Amino acid sequence: MRSLSWPRRLALWALNLGSIAFLLLPLTPVVLGSLQSEKSVQSDVRALLPKEYTLANFQLILSGGRSKGPIFEQVSYLPKSVEQFPLAFRNSLIVGLAVTFATLAAASLSAYTLARLRLRWTQALLQLSLVSRMVPLIVLMVPLYVLFRSYGLLNSLTGVIAAEVGLLLPYAILILVPYFAAFPADLEDAARMDGCTRWQAFLRVVLPLSTPGLAACGVILFILSWHELLIPLIIVSRPEFMTVPVILAGLVSDYFVFFTLMMAICLLGLLPTLALVLALQKYVVRGLVSGALKG
Amino acid sequence: MWRRGGEAPAGRLALILNLPTLVALALVLAYPICFAGYLSLHEVSIRQLRSGVFPWAGLANFTRLFQDEVFWLSLRHTLVFVAASVLLEVVIGLAIALTISDERVWLARVTRLLILIPWAVPPVVNGLLWSFIANAQYGYLNRALHKLGLITDYVNWLGQPRLAMAIVIAAYVWRTAPFNILLYHAAIQGIPAEIYEAAAVDGASPWQSLWRLTLPLLRPIVAVTLILRTTFGFMVFDEILAITQGGPGNDTWVAAWYTYRVAFQPPFNIGLGAASAWVLAIIIGLAALVYVRLVYRRLEYA
Repeated sequence: MRSLSWPRRLALWALNLGSIAFLLLPLTPVVLGSLQSEKSVQSDVRALLPKEYTLANFQLILSGGRSKGPIFEQVSYLPKSVEQFPLAFRNSLIVGLAVTFATLAAASLSAYTLARLRLRWTQALLQLSLVSRMVPLIVLMVPLYVLFRSYGLLNSLTGVIAAEVGLLLPYAILILVPYFAAFPADLEDAARMDGCTRWQAFLRVVLPLSTPGLAACGVILFILSWHELLIPLIIVSRPEFMTVPVILAGLVSDYFVFFTLMMAICLLGLLPTLALVLALQKYVVRGLVSGALKG
Repeated sequence: MWRRGGEAPAGRLALILNLPTLVALALVLAYPICFAGYLSLHEVSIRQLRSGVFPWAGLANFTRLFQDEVFWLSLRHTLVFVAASVLLEVVIGLAIALTISDERVWLARVTRLLILIPWAVPPVVNGLLWSFIANAQYGYLNRALHKLGLITDYVNWLGQPRLAMAIVIAAYVWRTAPFNILLYHAAIQGIPAEIYEAAAVDGASPWQSLWRLTLPLLRPIVAVTLILRTTFGFMVFDEILAITQGGPGNDTWVAAWYTYRVAFQPPFNIGLGAASAWVLAIIIGLAALVYVRLVYRRLEYA
């Protein structure tokens, strides 16, 4: 490639700096807010950087409201979300892992048949997966609420998991089909020549060699489950089954909440998926691209 | 199950392997959608939920819906929201994707590592974050603009209809633009370098090859993102809940928020909620259809 002229190089540097600012600047208030006391936020409303930093917000939340420390000693009112955070974090983990593995199991079986056994009705199923991604979730939630109410699935993690699996399954199939379609048919044929049935070939050859695709799909599923608000918000009303997004939404109608505490809970709520994305970026990128291109 | 030495025919195998998916889709997607249609034609509220008897209401829910000013207001806000957010997502997505595609500037490799960060933020966290940013007294938007000398008095961003909508759009676009950046970037990397070299030999300026080569070649992927982002834009909920709760007044009510408020907040009118949800689904279906006809058709002849 030819080297760049200096005005172009300068323009590209400026554009990159602008892009980085766009991507990162909106996150700085979470960090700054969570690391100071409410008094410091309110005392100087013109300052960009706090005068002193503290970890008191995190101590309070991670201890479920027990470890108050000097800053919160005098505070008589604490939002319920603070006490609920540790349990909600655990619920989110359970739901996320269950949804990821259940969806992955069903989706990999389907995606394999869609990619390999090109039957007329399996192709229709692929079209259906595309279409069902466009059904607004709120449309499903109204009837699901009534149905789950009569099945006794309201206020249970099972209900949340079932609804999320149904919601994410079509998307998981769309992500996985290109992976299985790109899988070299020769390998599978060789296994079948050696006496494997299709099912055995799938289990012993195709699946083990498809781990990159399964990993990509799995990370994305976990992240989307971790982000999901509407499903648990409508299905769950008892604190013991609430997930992280639901207790975060609970802060909205709380007029006495401290912004600093809110930002600290937000930071703790976004760290797991941020860490996953940064650690497994390669997989997430490939999975997202794969899931969109079939459109 | 299988005969020794042989195996099940492909059709039966496919059916067995797809059983979990078909059951899940039937229970959580197909049946509820039909059931929503049933609910929209019946009177369903707290009292009916308790007794389990849903009296037939005919089209009463739909008549009530179409007579409700707030419903029309919500639809109008939704259209504004979708138009503005999709446009910004495409423009910002293309700009950043093109920026990071030139590897001769090493900073581009840093930028590339950061693209997915906004996508990793949970939507409700994103909403709370922007409600703090835009807060009239303590928000960082006011602090920053004041430091830069752009404002003298603090602005009550969420107190004015247009500004509140602008904040919601900004928050949503910030979280969703990375998806577009990613797809555009992948598509740009798929364009062979020889094409640009040939164009340069023919005397094309970088600016010309951007407009005459890169952007036309990106048309298929832009079409895909247009469809996806439009349908998702119609469903926006989390940011509305966390930033404005529909306020000030009714000025940021959108379609999904309308359905949620009608069905799941007092007076819990599930039948009316089902009706408005169906109308939203039909609008999204029509939008997708129009796109597929206009954008894809044109692509074939391009």
